Amino acid sequence: MTSLDTDVVVVGGGVTGVAVLRDLALRGVRAVLVERFDLGTGTSGRWHGLLHSGARYAVRDQESARECIEENTVLRRIAPHTIEDVGGLFVLLPGDDEAYAGQFVDGCRASGIPTEELSAAQARRREPLLAPGVRLAYAVPDGGIDSWGLLRSMAADAEARGCRVLVRHPVVGVERDGDRIAAVRVHDRVAGEDRLIGCQWVVNAAGPWAGEIGRMAGVPIRMIAGKGVMVVMASRYVRGVVNACRKPADGDIIVPQHEVAVLGTTSVQVDSPDDITVAPADVDRMVDMCAQMVPSIASGRVLRAFAGSRPLYQPESADGDSGGGDTREVSRTFTVLDHASRDGLANMLSIVGGKLTTCRQMAEALVDRLAERMGVTEPCRTATEPLPGADHGPHRLAAPLAAVEREVAYGELVCECELVTRDQVRAAVAGGLTELEDLRRKLRLGYGPCQAAFCAWRAAGMLAEGRPEGSEDALAGLERFLEERWRGQQATTWGDQARQALLNHAIYRGTFDLRGAGRPDEAAAAGLAPAEPGEGDPTTRVGSELVGESNGRTSSKAGG
Amino acid sequence: MRADVVVVGAGPAGLAAAVRLAEAGRQVRVVARGNGFTHWGPGAVDVLGRLGGERVERPLEAAGRLPADHPYRLAGEAALRDGLDWFLRLAGAAGLAHAGDPERNRDQVTALGTLRPTCLLPEPAARPLTEGGGRVAVVNFEGFRDFWPALCAAALRGAGVDAVAATAPLPRWDHARYFTGIELAKAIDDDGFRRRLAPGLARAAAGAAAVVVPAVLGVGDGHTAWAELQRLVGAPLVEAATAPPSIPGLRLFAAYRARLDALGVSWQFGFPAIAVERDGDRVTAVRSEGASRAVVTHCQELVLATGGVAGHGIEANRDGTLAEVVAGLPVEGFGNRTAFVADRFLGEHPLGAAGVRVDAELRPVHRPGPRSGSPSGSPVLANVRCVGGLLAGHDPTVEGSREGVALATATRVAQLLAPAPTPVS
Repeated sequence: MTSLDTDVVVVGGGVTGVAVLRDLALRGVRAVLVERFDLGTGTSGRWHGLLHSGARYAVRDQESARECIEENTVLRRIAPHTIEDVGGLFVLLPGDDEAYAGQFVDGCRASGIPTEELSAAQARRREPLLAPGVRLAYAVPDGGIDSWGLLRSMAADAEARGCRVLVRHPVVGVERDGDRIAAVRVHDRVAGEDRLIGCQWVVNAAGPWAGEIGRMAGVPIRMIAGKGVMVVMASRYVRGVVNACRKPADGDIIVPQHEVAVLGTTSVQVDSPDDITVAPADVDRMVDMCAQMVPSIASGRVLRAFAGSRPLYQPESADGDSGGGDTREVSRTFTVLDHASRDGLANMLSIVGGKLTTCRQMAEALVDRLAERMGVTEPCRTATEPLPGADHGPHRLAAPLAAVEREVAYGELVCECELVTRDQVRAAVAGGLTELEDLRRKLRLGYGPCQAAFCAWRAAGMLAEGRPEGSEDALAGLERFLEERWRGQQATTWGDQARQALLNHAIYRGTFDLRGAGRPDEAAAAGLAPAEPGEGDPTTRVGSELVGESNGRTSSKAGG
Repeated sequence: MRADVVVVGAGPAGLAAAVRLAEAGRQVRVVARGNGFTHWGPGAVDVLGRLGGERVERPLEAAGRLPADHPYRLAGEAALRDGLDWFLRLAGAAGLAHAGDPERNRDQVTALGTLRPTCLLPEPAARPLTEGGGRVAVVNFEGFRDFWPALCAAALRGAGVDAVAATAPLPRWDHARYFTGIELAKAIDDDGFRRRLAPGLARAAAGAAAVVVPAVLGVGDGHTAWAELQRLVGAPLVEAATAPPSIPGLRLFAAYRARLDALGVSWQFGFPAIAVERDGDRVTAVRSEGASRAVVTHCQELVLATGGVAGHGIEANRDGTLAEVVAGLPVEGFGNRTAFVADRFLGEHPLGAAGVRVDAELRPVHRPGPRSGSPSGSPVLANVRCVGGLLAGHDPTVEGSREGVALATATRVAQLLAPAPTPVS
């Protein structure tokens, strides 16, 4: 077992943890972030990609709304390259309550969110595919944000300033020394051995899994897993974000994101953040509800569906039965828990709740508290210091195509859907990426309408170029990736997408004769029985990596 | 428009049916949405590659043991044998000689370095990699993005083949930044290009006993480019199956098309058939629709070769039902759409085996069950026949039976519809 020492261990490679790391780095604090998979594989990678204006919360949760509009402005300043500055509308449909629209405008005004009322004609000029019945709309500064781009930029900045990011290092135990944590024990999944990280402080930024880290450290943190289902359409449909101007409900938002549109979302309390199953009925509801706003979605091509778990925190004071139903009642604001005063654990802080748009502010609040305890006087600079890449300006949808056209590089494309070139894949592989899943998150490889029919094996071929002979069954990684991609498609296979699925099957199982027989997926590789959907429950599993890892963790040294 | 027989679909089954019907003396018209599985497949003639996931060694013998409602059982072994013999003659006459024995499966090397079981292979793909022993060089042409020799060679080594990866430079040409397999194949059709290509390919092969290359060795003139390049390189060249588009499939399609032209068969491409006109239990015309207009083609007989769900012949609906798209034929659906597919992508998807049930004369029959008005098993339409992937009872991808089923059922239909009956006045 190897060991290392640092001042602060940050647990969790989502946007919150990485924002904490960057904040620490800017204040000159030594820190190491540990993440069980890759950056953004939990909630930060399983959401709709909305840069909130805060308008969604303006009626019921104005504290969250204010946080959102403040951070919306900050992110546009420090991370414009991760943002699609497309704006958003809240549209009023026939049957929607006009009184709610009044509260909405008042709430936005009270929260500092600029709104502009548009007539039906003006709204349709802006969004030509809006339903003819739309009565009026309010324009708000919503946008799209690429959380993986944001994560990479923040992590790169933190690393450039001397902090470390250890991915594929799940926490497997916490070494206590009286009322202190002396070290965090992690498992290096690549090397296959445990490492001990000695530290002065621990930050628990594990999102919906914060309770599990708390358990390892011996402090109770009660999280509510609030599942949200999202549906990916094969094209964008809308220029900007389109929301229903009504009380938050299933299927009330359409977010254009790169080449696709994401429909969201449900909000249901589930027993575990690892429950990210998607039922066909969820998909149907999302499609039907969003089609009320944009009718052509009803006959559109659904690429896939996925679910994420919101990191909702249940304060001890509000302890009790939260009903097990709609989790929209739970505030979207965030909380810093100082376990010294709360639990008598001297050197750990947790950050819970919140949302992607407010990740920087969450980090600032936590690190302010930590700095005070550490005696660090350096002020927070994350709101003003631009991230690496910010000089590129806002992300423009057409930019990658323009680049390909400028270079006449059509033949260089590995992924035609997402315009990923051979050079990009080579650079990523040279940078140390070894898994197709990592390439997907970094380059969006395999996201488009064909769902990796052509790019997956090309990229597998490129990965094989640098791999030493006999290191692994050459095709196992490809099969793993194909199975991983499939998990989001079982509830969405009909119509044109059914044809696509069978074509992809004819390529990989037919022409290439891959059968996956005896080639384990990730869960099996970790020595775990694959979880099965509940009996008689027409649900399908998505993202079993989360299921597998959680099982591994709770069966490890958590009790010690 | 008017034709004796309208064949809807231009995949392996529709093409074979159209040629065989025309050869039998029927006046045929082909109506098709576009290209079919010739362009998508590995460029081999699969008869029966796998059963229950296990490799089949003797396809004809195994086909005889399939369930009674399998297309092979309905068409009969004689039709399958006759279809394969006929195909070998057709391909050979078109400069696309195939090797193989219907009694025994053989290996087709793929771009991923797997060895897929198949029955007949075009000569450029036919040479067994282990023949004569010795090292195999897996060689790509520089810049071609649909072949990755390191991956192919690694998988071949895993299968016990002594394989090494290499890359051959391409001669200077116009497509350096933008070429697909088709551009490359067209370039290799050119004798001068081949001569400039050969020395680099020979160097990359470095004395190997056989050289695996992507299946891009010419598209315009049968197997000529392959044979010539092989002679210039001085080592056996073996074409590996790639992802679509399939160059061997394009060669075969061209051969079919030339044969149909020679037989005077007319074409209507880019016009998906969308409906039929009926008179009682007979179809009298097919309606098809192009970008600009609808066309009605009157016919005595209708052969549907529209493929299953993958081929556009069947629509899979959100509610778990299935619909045959041209004549509204009965298709057994599923309770809900999650039943369409398997848990594992590389598993067996029920949707892949969905299709139209037919009688022994390949006529669509009523669905079994208490609620259908007609007795189960009786024909829905008297003059409609179904062939190929549209048929229920088989999954062409999972079984590796696509071309065999196409040829067997096309052959059976040609037998059933020949000779031409006296025209109805």
